Amino acid sequence: MDFKIKRKSTKSVIAGGLLETYPHDLQMYKLPPVGDISLQEFETLALERLTLLRCLATATTLKGLRLYSEEWCDFILGDLRSQGLKYYVKLCEKSGCSTQDVDLQARRKDHIAHFILRLAYCRTEELRRWFISREIELFRMRFMTMKGDSVDNFFTINNLCYTNISEEEKDELIINLRESTHHPNIDKMKFYKVKFFEVLDLVKTRKVYLKDGYAYIPHKDFISVLSAQYRVHLRQSLAIACHHLGEVEQDERLVSLLKGLHQSYTGNDYSDSKSVIPIESLDTLSIKSFPLCMRQLHEFLRSTHHLKHGGRLQYGLFLKGIGVTLEDSLKFWRQEFTKVMDLDKFEKQYSYNVRYNYGKEGSKKNYSPFNCLKIINNNVGPGECHGCPFKHSDANVLKNKLKGYGFEQQALHDVVDLAKRGHYQIACSKYFDVVQSCNIGLGINHPNQYFEESQKLLKGDIKSEPKKDIKPIIKDEINDIEEMDFDENFK
Amino acid sequence: MAKHYDESLLSDMLPIYYSRLFPQSLFCRWLTCGNYPQPLGNRELSFTLADDVYLRYLSINNQKELHTLFQKKCPYKLDIGPVYNTKPSIGRHDAVVLARELVFDIDLTDYDEIRTCCQEAKVCDKCWKFMVLACEVINTALKEDFGFQNILWVFSGRRGIHCWVSDHEARVLDSPGRTALADYMCLISGGENQYRKVHLGNDNLHSSIRRAIGIIEKYFTTILEEQEFLSTTDRLNSFLKIIPDEALRKQTHETLEKMPSSSLERWEMFVTIYNQYCKQNANAMRKMKYLVEELKIQYCYPRLDAHVTKGFNHLLKSPFSIHPKTGKVSIVFKPENAKNMKLNDIPTIHTLLDDSSKENAQHQANMRTAVKNFQEVVFMLEKTEAMRRKTEASVSIDF
Repeated sequence: MDFKIKRKSTKSVIAGGLLETYPHDLQMYKLPPVGDISLQEFETLALERLTLLRCLATATTLKGLRLYSEEWCDFILGDLRSQGLKYYVKLCEKSGCSTQDVDLQARRKDHIAHFILRLAYCRTEELRRWFISREIELFRMRFMTMKGDSVDNFFTINNLCYTNISEEEKDELIINLRESTHHPNIDKMKFYKVKFFEVLDLVKTRKVYLKDGYAYIPHKDFISVLSAQYRVHLRQSLAIACHHLGEVEQDERLVSLLKGLHQSYTGNDYSDSKSVIPIESLDTLSIKSFPLCMRQLHEFLRSTHHLKHGGRLQYGLFLKGIGVTLEDSLKFWRQEFTKVMDLDKFEKQYSYNVRYNYGKEGSKKNYSPFNCLKIINNNVGPGECHGCPFKHSDANVLKNKLKGYGFEQQALHDVVDLAKRGHYQIACSKYFDVVQSCNIGLGINHPNQYFEESQKLLKGDIKSEPKKDIKPIIKDEINDIEEMDFDENFK
Repeated sequence: MAKHYDESLLSDMLPIYYSRLFPQSLFCRWLTCGNYPQPLGNRELSFTLADDVYLRYLSINNQKELHTLFQKKCPYKLDIGPVYNTKPSIGRHDAVVLARELVFDIDLTDYDEIRTCCQEAKVCDKCWKFMVLACEVINTALKEDFGFQNILWVFSGRRGIHCWVSDHEARVLDSPGRTALADYMCLISGGENQYRKVHLGNDNLHSSIRRAIGIIEKYFTTILEEQEFLSTTDRLNSFLKIIPDEALRKQTHETLEKMPSSSLERWEMFVTIYNQYCKQNANAMRKMKYLVEELKIQYCYPRLDAHVTKGFNHLLKSPFSIHPKTGKVSIVFKPENAKNMKLNDIPTIHTLLDDSSKENAQHQANMRTAVKNFQEVVFMLEKTEAMRRKTEASVSIDF
């Protein structure tokens, strides 16, 4: 990166140069910016883009809005406006290729800010993942809002071309294309073929026709191909940035700015509990203070004396978060499991996993309890009962369960109805209110948060846990389960 | 299964099995090809010894070392892991995984909620049909949709099958890629609290799903009859719980429970009722346009252990290992031959090494066939790899 950072503000490149450098609102940041910039502007640009990225994160993790939906877009644009970030609103609301000076200036800021944040976010794997996720969401949002001509321009500018398929080939495959592509009326669309691994998100959801390793995509679906490429490009770039970090940090003025950027973003991740919960109280607690997902797992464990991997993980980490010690945890799982197996088998096949969750085995990572988003997006298979009961239960099953818990008609109907309409976390909040006999309407986004709030209420608003220190290590809010990887062998 | 199989004899028999019968040379060639450009020594192997002692981060540089390791340690279980950027014993937790075959694991215990002839560890030729069907569905998808050519199918040793895809594109697929593939293949989802586990929506069916249903239909009647899915009150109730429409469910219940217990007759009656119901209720069509297909899928479609496919460094049992509990060999079979396989024909370490056992001749022949199957796959892999490397080398590198 060719940055010369001076104290004084220096005039930027002439307008003509800007048009050449920035022909389009949307870019993939292939070339680093060149020029001089004041320290003031450096810092401002960085903070403004950080605000934008945080806004993106809030839209999904805190507000629970569906990615790329209209509500999601509206929320982000609204938030950006209220923060006074006009140029980002412009870039996100309607990506185009106008030649107005105000647009050129916006593109310049966008360009520089992206590269500055690369420096701040290349340091650790978790920071990288967070940054890449946000930048991809941003990219897709801006791609989505592009009008027809701008799309073609974008392709031309970026030298993107794929194998067209001939009319003959298209005719041969027309039935398959019609039934497997998730757009209506594909007959008039132009189709291209790309390797299947370029469009993994379409493959994953079975929204594309596959043949011999190739995916047949209509022009419209290019965003998937681009996202995949963009992701690869970003990963590589961050790795390179990390290499050069040493040089950049020679400049003291930058060090504290870059290091401090992501601070104070951490939400509570419940990975270090200070209170201690005895296992004897788990049965009562499961009724009084556990969210339904954990109560369900607890009950299933008590009645069948076994949980499959997904359930052990979800429930085990939750218990750690509420304050069950490792020794107590081992005792608890052992007590239950040995009702259906030898002590030997438990020690060999299951106790390792328990210790692993507490960071005592393998790579010794201290895994955090899952938040609601992760749990809701989890896969649940036959024989399993983890996940979010408001999502992963048939309506009848949920109804009967709550009836069995003594819920009254109206309350029961409310919860089930919310779940049916896909408002899982609000359903949970209603469940909380019914069980605690109150009317608070909490925003639930973490099972351990549910537990803490419940305990607070029961103890008469006395805080059960001292406030945590904010750590600079970021717990990235993982939106897709695919980003969670385990480097040990879970059997 | 040989009734006189004795686990305590394993420690005597395994060394002989490993040196005489285990196809060591093919095994090394298969892994070497899959490791390229890394050396064989960067591949992780793991052994489980007698008394469940578990050894990880093992590796070998050539066949001779494999032979020595076998004789020294006499593993009861042999697992294969990924290819690292360094020798596994050096890198351990910090080593970076570079590649690994794409793998699938299908186990009959995941069918316990569906199969009626056996449960848990038990398996018979009737429920084996689920594996035959699974093999055909997945093999076809891997070949036709993804264009993979180097696919190895292995009996897992007791009640399941494994699939190893060695194509280069498959080997370097990262975790999100494997997840995408696993999700593509999985049609059955839902836990204890969801009776209806297949949701096909009401748009067109994807080509691969239509094809899978076509394959299922070849086997459906046989499986339906052998498993008697609808013949008892309990099973009928489980079936009914899947139907999302109250009225249709009620009508089906009332009609079917009065009928004789033949599952085939009951099923055909249900389809008739369903078709009539849909003609009279346009709304119903919208909610359950593909109910019949969904049911067929829920009862017969492959149930994969998705974790195994998604994990980049999951350790999986090796072909030709011996299952300590059954003594059976994890033989390599050809997918088109799966339907002819009988569980009792699968060679065991006992019948192979004991001349006096009556299955000895037959099982030895079957073992030879299995090794030949393996040889064909390895040979094909070496050929495709050689071609691919030649093409890559001739592509000019430009900055």
